[in-house]
Amino acid sequence: MSFKNVIQSRMSLIAVLIAVLIIVYPLGYSVADYISAGNAAGEKPFLERTAPEITQCVEDTIYMRYHHWELLHAIREDVVRYGKRSEVSLNNCRSCHTSREKFCNKCHDAVSMKPDCFGCHYYP
Amino acid sequence: MDRRDFMKLAGGTILVISSGTYAFQFLTGSIRSATGEGIDPNAVRWGMVIDLTKCQEGCTACLDACRQENNVALHGDPKLDVHWIRKVKAESMIGNEVQEKSILLLCNHCDKPPCAQVCPVQATYRRHDGIVIVDHHRCIGCRYCMIACPYNARQFNLKDNEHWANKERPKRSHGVAEACTLCAHRLDVGKPPACVEACQNVGAGAIMVGNLNDANSEVSQIISRYATKRLREELGTEPKVHYVGL
Repeated sequence: MSFKNVIQSRMSLIAVLIAVLIIVYPLGYSVADYISAGNAAGEKPFLERTAPEITQCVEDTIYMRYHHWELLHAIREDVVRYGKRSEVSLNNCRSCHTSREKFCNKCHDAVSMKPDCFGCHYYP
Repeated sequence: MDRRDFMKLAGGTILVISSGTYAFQFLTGSIRSATGEGIDPNAVRWGMVIDLTKCQEGCTACLDACRQENNVALHGDPKLDVHWIRKVKAESMIGNEVQEKSILLLCNHCDKPPCAQVCPVQATYRRHDGIVIVDHHRCIGCRYCMIACPYNARQFNLKDNEHWANKERPKRSHGVAEACTLCAHRLDVGKPPACVEACQNVGAGAIMVGNLNDANSEVSQIISRYATKRLREELGTEPKVHYVGL
């Protein structure tokens, strides 16, 4: 059996393999990138405690890490659409998380996500 | 009728009914929210009275206060500058006599706001207390509202605003339309708008804001006592800025 015949008989298998590679590539790339970056400099985003005496945010840390933007959206909806100006606002976050450089930007830069908040809202 | 025709007919009927009801709800819902229908008649309905007979010639206290409070962009270039409240000279001819009058122009917070009706993303809307406001988070900068507004009250940010006078309040970056918000953030906490306060501090007291649904409020009293006019009433937009001595 010639090489050409082998290729032809395994055509479907090769196609599937290529498809799987294309799908897995970005995931694998980011995992590899994360591992190599972590090993090289240990550069995980690290948030500075700017107000050490306060240990508890409005929700626990892991919730805030993944869902803080949902809370911000909810506040925004209340204020902009319904005029309910409660105690909780972006301005209140400032009392503990004093600096954008030390707080928001650390993670957002690490994952290269650029929030639009600060084009209009003041945060030191 | 054979099986195939039956299936076609049944499927078609379901499709037409479901899409039809959805489209009906979607369309009437957006129109209703934009025209302010179905709102509580006893709720607060903010309105403004501007007494042009008390307004002082050459005074710009309200304009400056507005700029200071709301970080309205002033680049020094008339093409880029944004004005939420303007003082314009209007001329009227009676016979051969030309009368000049300076008039304050701002968003009229119409009860049937054309700007809200045309907004394709419902960024502009009428709040439950009658204030017409732009959600800048949602605005895509298409400028339909500027074309729709018969009062030319809408302005567009062609450039980022670099002056940030009042850090407690947001400024606007380029690409969004904006207009007077009747200082909704101040009314919500029980304070009068910045222009009203400035006008009182100057001693003129020409601008008043109050609840139009309350017959005892200052603005309702003035409207019932004096012959007040609204701008371009014939368009049926139901503006809520009333002028004395126009």
